[in-house]
Amino acid sequence: MDEGEAEHMNEQDIDRSTLPIRRPPFQGTPERTLAGSQPDWDYVAPVAPPRDAPNVLLILIDDAGFGNPSTFGGPISTPTLDRLADEGLKYNGFHVTALCSPTRAALMTGRNHHAVGFGMVGEFAGPFPGYSAMLPKDSQPFAKTLQGNGYSTACFGKWHLTPDHMQGPAGPFDRWPNALGFDYFWGFLGGESGQFDPVITENQSSIGVPEDESFYLPDAMADKTIEWLHGVRAQDAEKPWFAYFSTGCSHAPHHAQKAWSEKYLGAFDQGWDQLREETFARQKRLGVVPADAELTTRPTNMPSWDSLSESQKRVYARQMEVYAGFSENADWNVGRVIDAIDEMGDLENTLVIYIWGDNGGSMEGTLTGTFNELTTMNGVPLTDEQQLQLVLKWGGLEAWGTELMAPHYSAAWAWASNCPFQWGKQVASHLGGTRNPMVVHWPRRIADHGGLRSQFTHVTDIGPTILEAAGIPQPTHIDGVEQTPMHGTSAIYTLDDAGAAERHTQQYFEVLGNRAMYKDGWWLSWMMPRTPWKLDPDTIKQFAPGVWDPESDPVELYYLPEDFTQANDLADQHPEKVRELKELFWHEAEKNHVLPLLGGLTTFFGMTPPLPTQSQFTFYGDVQNVSSGMIPPIFNHSYTISAELEIPGSGAEGVIVAEADHLGGFSLFVDEGKLKHSYSFVGVMEFKQESEVTVPTGSVTVRMEFAADAAKPATGGEVTLFINDEPVGGGRIEHTVPVRFSGYSGMDIGRDNGMPVDRSYADRSPFAFTGKVKKVVFDVNPHPEDTHEQELHEHAQQGLAAHAINA
Amino acid sequence: MSDDHKDVLIAAYLFEDLAKRDFDAVLQLAEQQAITMEGAVLVQKGTDGEVRVTETGDHLGRKGAKVGGGVGLAVGLLAPPLLAATVVGAGAGAVTGRFARHRLESGIGDKMDAALPPGSGGVIAVYDSSGAATVDAALTNAVKKSVAQIDGASAKALKAGLAEAQEGMSG
Repeated sequence: MDEGEAEHMNEQDIDRSTLPIRRPPFQGTPERTLAGSQPDWDYVAPVAPPRDAPNVLLILIDDAGFGNPSTFGGPISTPTLDRLADEGLKYNGFHVTALCSPTRAALMTGRNHHAVGFGMVGEFAGPFPGYSAMLPKDSQPFAKTLQGNGYSTACFGKWHLTPDHMQGPAGPFDRWPNALGFDYFWGFLGGESGQFDPVITENQSSIGVPEDESFYLPDAMADKTIEWLHGVRAQDAEKPWFAYFSTGCSHAPHHAQKAWSEKYLGAFDQGWDQLREETFARQKRLGVVPADAELTTRPTNMPSWDSLSESQKRVYARQMEVYAGFSENADWNVGRVIDAIDEMGDLENTLVIYIWGDNGGSMEGTLTGTFNELTTMNGVPLTDEQQLQLVLKWGGLEAWGTELMAPHYSAAWAWASNCPFQWGKQVASHLGGTRNPMVVHWPRRIADHGGLRSQFTHVTDIGPTILEAAGIPQPTHIDGVEQTPMHGTSAIYTLDDAGAAERHTQQYFEVLGNRAMYKDGWWLSWMMPRTPWKLDPDTIKQFAPGVWDPESDPVELYYLPEDFTQANDLADQHPEKVRELKELFWHEAEKNHVLPLLGGLTTFFGMTPPLPTQSQFTFYGDVQNVSSGMIPPIFNHSYTISAELEIPGSGAEGVIVAEADHLGGFSLFVDEGKLKHSYSFVGVMEFKQESEVTVPTGSVTVRMEFAADAAKPATGGEVTLFINDEPVGGGRIEHTVPVRFSGYSGMDIGRDNGMPVDRSYADRSPFAFTGKVKKVVFDVNPHPEDTHEQELHEHAQQGLAAHAINA
Repeated sequence: MSDDHKDVLIAAYLFEDLAKRDFDAVLQLAEQQAITMEGAVLVQKGTDGEVRVTETGDHLGRKGAKVGGGVGLAVGLLAPPLLAATVVGAGAGAVTGRFARHRLESGIGDKMDAALPPGSGGVIAVYDSSGAATVDAALTNAVKKSVAQIDGASAKALKAGLAEAQEGMSG
């Protein structure tokens, strides 16, 4: 028996069904002294994966559609995806869940999203098992399995699986990436990030907003990934690795470097209607859409391009130019990572799975698109005219795509991004929200270079596929907890045979009441009659308990082998199939904790969590980068911000406390000797107050009191500034932010990291306080009537849910 | 026929060529005597942030590229580049230092929150209030409009009207 065979046998002896893998039995012999003792060097060797287990690079693009990348006929140039597809396989029957966190939960665990608590997104934990946003310990991510079997593992970019209220230094950390199978994490925990001014988390610490003025997150993500890969290879020439490269692109805010967006100047002047036709023609030429497929039609609630004014056309065209440049840059950065892997000699045995989008293009920008996505999330409706005016206010079209805005394109561009399908993100009932391009590249294993695979595949298949590729079984136990079986089906069988019979033959879909049931080529669409970008009270109340009967929602039926795009509704012709699939859906829904439907929107219907009991929040020292979802709950209430300061004899200036930025936030600061307060109502209005006297030296207390006009959402109110308990100035805030200031920017004590709230100190950002901030205290005052408190609590929770849907 | 009530209009555009299109439309109204106009100017804010008067129009709808004598009181008041720049270029709340950190490639951080961002345009016009609806209908491409009403067309009244209209452009 040669050494290799012995090693192989030893490998076979390893029981990988239970993690962590138990220490091997000692095969040597200890005597009283070393004399005569037989050593066993295998005893001290780390756990190794099966021989020839490939490296794995898993790439996930955000908020992007089937009709975006050029590889699938889209207008966005994706040379890296092209290259990998030419040497690997294209999948045109791959499906996701139709929403961010749910897709990621299914991707990571190999289980259906409701079954692991992610019927909704991580920002909002609902009170039912399918909507808890708490990944259960019995359904651990496959990364944990790879890690436990000897892989080096790392995650870069967007995570979105840690509940909002657990993202601070107090944790708990058991739902952060490090606890879920990743040796290393560098990215952001939430659902979105600014690309120029992100708040970066590294492992279990926030490292804040990068100071480098040339910093651009997509480029930095690739840099970090390459750096990590180099480090792994420097230490161990053989050890397989798993890297999860999860871009914030192309989620809003659409922040693109000018050099990338300018590549698309004029590329979308033809508008969304014509763009779809062009894309569809290319898709047919490439063969990713069958030649006999029909292009679906524009929803009646979307305007035709021809109906727009000239200004609208130009602004909308710019929206897509920026989105396209943003997206191409992501592909370019993936290419940099691929090149680095190639240079290390690892590409030949690296399984690359490149998924273009987690839910189809996002329609959350509403029909107009928005200069600041937080307007939508806060329920601040803006007309088309107002949007144009705010574009004018914040720097015109040149600023669209820069950090001066937090832009999101029009829902109609999302629809065009999802060509040739209907709808998009959130709409789990149709392919526009659920079918995304995927490319698989693995030189050592794939012979059919440039092949196309059309078997039904699903995001839950990725985990089982990777484990089968690695030769690692799904563990029955991890950390002593019995594991549920993965729901997905390995897609390894598709690598060799384009005609192989489909193995993932049945799959339910559900997000926000939009349902679908797939079985053996048939697809039942059961869409809740809600326009995806509408969450206003009148819309929502149609779905209240006792009002909405999901059974009565109209159904559509498609047979995908003959109708790739879902253009021909067969429901009337096959009522028995409709009945069968409806019953199957309810069965799957019950089995996977989908029920109750809308379990992630409970707060809209009177099921709110207990009223918070904490009303005072104290920040000692210089606490930085408090997650925007974890700042004191000042919304819709009277509140005070008090600070104890030490002012040197020469005076001081700088920020005492600041949350977020000019597109929504507040800042209490000292400048020109005066105490000042700035408040931005999501970039639509700005309110400023300042003291009439200068701030004295020595120990000083300052206070900002906001007295709300009424117990109502977005209430206006009076601001009074105090120095050493004496009123020294004030003014009004006509409208306050009702839900959340920012999707990613944090709160800082003693400085204003990232983009400034008040532009007057922009040239001195982060405008650190030059005296000493000893502590800052927020007091959130309850409203006099308990009923008001409860009503506002419900509103706040509804707002958070609405924010979460758009995250 | 002229009356004593006049409108002082400031209209802002995201695109300079669309501003010119509306400017031409207003001049055509004057030429056709559909409105009684004192004068109008077209301004452009270049990508360098500079505001320039690119065209003027008199009470008969005649264009004059040059600013100078014989263009009428309104145009004379409106047209000096410095005044036009003040009215249309500075706008909401003054520009206060570099906004973004220093990395903005275009340098637009310096210029934002002006009534006109770089590359955009504006129209300023003074006309009899009786023509307000007609003018409004002609300004199909304006993103933002502000109108102040004045009595008579004295220099003092025009300046006051401009200030009031400018105030309306903010916020």
